[in-house]
Amino acid sequence: ESLSEGEIAALKEQLEEKKKLIVTLRNKPWRMKKRLVLLKEAQKFVEEFEGALGKGKGKKLYAFKVMMTKKLIKFKRDFENFKTACIPWERKIKDVESHFGSSVASYFIFLRWMYGLNMVLFGFMFGLVVLPEILMGLPYGSIPRKTVPREEQDTAMDFSVLNDFEGFCKYSFLFYGYYNNDRTIGVLKFRLPLSYLLVGVGIFGYSLMVVIRTMARNSNEGGDGAEEGEFTFSWKMFTSWDYLIGNPETADNKFASITTSFKESIVDEQENQKDENIHLRRFLRVLANFLITCTLGGSGYLIYFVVKRSQDFAKMEQDKLSWLEKNEVEFVMSLLGLVCPPLFETIAELEDYHPRIALKWQLGRIFALFLGNLYTFLFALFDEVNEKLETEKSIRNATIWALNQYYANYSSYFNTTDVPPPNVSPADVIRGPCWENAVGIGFVKLVVSDIQVSYLTILVGDFLRAVIVRFLNYCWCWDLEAGFPSYGEFDISGNVLGLVFNQGMIWMGAFYAPGLVGLNILRLLSSMYYQCWAVMCCNVPHERVFKASRSNNFYMGLLLLVLFLSLLPVVYAIMTLSPSFDCGPFSGQDKIYDVVMETIEQDLPSFIANIFTYATNPGLILPAVLLMLALYYLNAVSKGYKQANMDLKKKMKMARDEEKNRRNNKDSTNQVMIDLEDLLPKKSLIPPPIEEEPTPPGVVNAKGSKSPKMKPGAAAKGVNLQKDVSLAAPNPRAPVTYAPGPRRGPAGNARGPQPGPSRGRGRAGPPR
Amino acid sequence: MGSRASTLLRDEEIEEIKKETGFSHSQITRLYSRFTSLDKGENGTLSREDFQRIPELAINPLGDRIINAFFPEGEDQVNFRGFMRTLAHFRPIEDNEKSKNAAVSEPLNSRTNKLMFAFRLYDLDRDDKISRDELLQVLRMMVGVNISDDQLGSIADRTIQEADTNGDNSISFNEFIKVLEKVDVEQKMSIRFLH
Repeated sequence: ESLSEGEIAALKEQLEEKKKLIVTLRNKPWRMKKRLVLLKEAQKFVEEFEGALGKGKGKKLYAFKVMMTKKLIKFKRDFENFKTACIPWERKIKDVESHFGSSVASYFIFLRWMYGLNMVLFGFMFGLVVLPEILMGLPYGSIPRKTVPREEQDTAMDFSVLNDFEGFCKYSFLFYGYYNNDRTIGVLKFRLPLSYLLVGVGIFGYSLMVVIRTMARNSNEGGDGAEEGEFTFSWKMFTSWDYLIGNPETADNKFASITTSFKESIVDEQENQKDENIHLRRFLRVLANFLITCTLGGSGYLIYFVVKRSQDFAKMEQDKLSWLEKNEVEFVMSLLGLVCPPLFETIAELEDYHPRIALKWQLGRIFALFLGNLYTFLFALFDEVNEKLETEKSIRNATIWALNQYYANYSSYFNTTDVPPPNVSPADVIRGPCWENAVGIGFVKLVVSDIQVSYLTILVGDFLRAVIVRFLNYCWCWDLEAGFPSYGEFDISGNVLGLVFNQGMIWMGAFYAPGLVGLNILRLLSSMYYQCWAVMCCNVPHERVFKASRSNNFYMGLLLLVLFLSLLPVVYAIMTLSPSFDCGPFSGQDKIYDVVMETIEQDLPSFIANIFTYATNPGLILPAVLLMLALYYLNAVSKGYKQANMDLKKKMKMARDEEKNRRNNKDSTNQVMIDLEDLLPKKSLIPPPIEEEPTPPGVVNAKGSKSPKMKPGAAAKGVNLQKDVSLAAPNPRAPVTYAPGPRRGPAGNARGPQPGPSRGRGRAGPPR
Repeated sequence: MGSRASTLLRDEEIEEIKKETGFSHSQITRLYSRFTSLDKGENGTLSREDFQRIPELAINPLGDRIINAFFPEGEDQVNFRGFMRTLAHFRPIEDNEKSKNAAVSEPLNSRTNKLMFAFRLYDLDRDDKISRDELLQVLRMMVGVNISDDQLGSIADRTIQEADTNGDNSISFNEFIKVLEKVDVEQKMSIRFLH
């Protein structure tokens, strides 16, 4: 029996109600339209469900429908569970969150988000560019660009060569130079060059959309928790345990997380209670900012100086330079990267910010520092590109000259004009320097060395340190665990910035090295497991555990900035530099975007070509793109506001309904009061002192500003002040024997949203 | 299991329990089969050890107090009627009950009664007030030695400050209700029957 007795009873009752309605419809004081609508509805209901109770033929159908609904509900629930179970690494991140707090966990959540983004980018790149070329393009060794040149073939498989991404690696699908410039390939006539260009640009477009959408979504969540200002400790006290936990490990995690959350609240409270000596604090902050600006300026100049010197060194004989002079740039960069962040942290102690805000400042400053890194790298790369372009011109001329020679000789020797193409093995053809490959290799080498450095740092800086502290402690004079060096804390800012800059590198290099995105996927995957293990094994929680800001928008903002910065070089290269003449999918063309023009002219009808020539005016494109971005962001944000609006409307409606109930039918609200009084012994019914009415409006304003400063007053000066910030008037406790007075107009409504449901609980205000 | 259960539970008993607690027929049968599966001794009553075998209660810091709530004063065994009487507090509130005017005697699973159940977990000495010491006990069970005693004391003080409105330095039942008025107690303190 799919219908339980309770359901049958409820159904019978509803049926009776509807039948009664049909009979009494004429007597109701409603408009005709309303009556007709209700009549139709009631008749439909009776017809449908009378069958269900066995009175008609419809019982089986009804039972079937009910069963299907139940199955659907179960299926939906299972699907939701499945979707939640599919979120990767949720358990790991919860573990980290319980033991280290939400700020450390926010880094891992960011890492997971990045992984998702990179998976999509990988899907684009792999599916639309790499796979068609491998499956439908010419195989390795058939044309010059796909073959290792003769002189390099001996060393092509050596590990040292492969490590530098030369040899076989360079002539594989990992790099730009492998791709052929045939307009269409294979049976499906897949337009590879067009696809390559569109994917390259599409990667940026998609990343931009996703970052903006995430920022918009995050900014909405800020509105919900705004009411958590009251009863923080009480709620943590009474409602923090999760009663559905049955697994001992999970219980341990829950213990740790309850402890951490109490500690976080304590830190927040301490911050609110700090003594304010505004002038001293402002002065110290200005001083700190001044020192840091000086440091940043100094490091910027140092970088500029070193780069200039390296350019001079490059012109000199390579053998005469010492190791230091050859690697001066990298050396100076690493030194700055090691020394400056701790220096910034020490100076930041002057500022005495809340740890969450101090983290943001630290992030911003290290970001500025690393921009210098980026600048030098791009500068060096640009120099190399220019150099290669020069060489290319000469080789190109040489190749053309050789070809012409061959044709001339052949036709004069055999006296024909039908000259077959030169029969040269692909490995022997003269090659141009292919600057795009050099750029791609440069990026890949940078990313790989970055990975190696970061993994090594974790291994040495965290693991080795922890091992030494633990085992050397037995035979050392001072307590290594409590004093220097002790166990490391997880460096949130350094890691986040590393991730952000890494992604910038990927964005810049993906156009010239399609395999880079795949490499990044592997890196992020291994990084997740490796860092989770390292954090749980070798780190200790911060001394002051603080709650992460509710929105991740700061990280997203940095990411957006880096996205724009990495967009610029690529767009510049696409628009201005000309591609190599013998490698890559755009070889032979004047500019890379010529592919698009060619496609439009040849494949699409002619009027589109006209439209396009008008539309590609840069003065038109740039404002259009910016406008669309702004619209997208505002649209995404407006959804969140709509939701917040609906919630507020609901609350106000509830408040109004309760007021109405209170006025019309005081029985229904006082019932709860009577029950309460029945349950409790008489001695709890001590009447409290009556509140004065004027305070609540003033208190509403103070509470409305949501300033946390209200609490420290309450906490520090004892209980009495707390009453001023409680919004609703207390229970009168004496039985209510008079009707409530006339409603106070707007002031009553101003309180509406806050005490919503409670207003109806028999809380008649003091008589006016 | 199901057939054995229904033969041991007579229809008149089911009707009585239904009237007293408000559970439906199928719900009572479900709960009876759960009762019998917990009753390892098969003597029709549950002891404290039977409850402590439930993993969720075993690792719960307030587990012992919850178990105590099932046993009436001074007794060590609870039969099925007593079991259902306590569980009646956790019956889900149906929508059509919310809009009806309250019956003469308030049902066991009203919001107030649910909160009363929770209140009694914290108020050990049954003086209808949660004092600072009782809060400290709860804190020590929840957090253990990971937070210093001073800080625990401040947390307890702060909690009382937030909740106390009549200045007696303890939390009465009304203040408790006020603290939890924004928490969806009806949904959290309900058994989820998945029919």
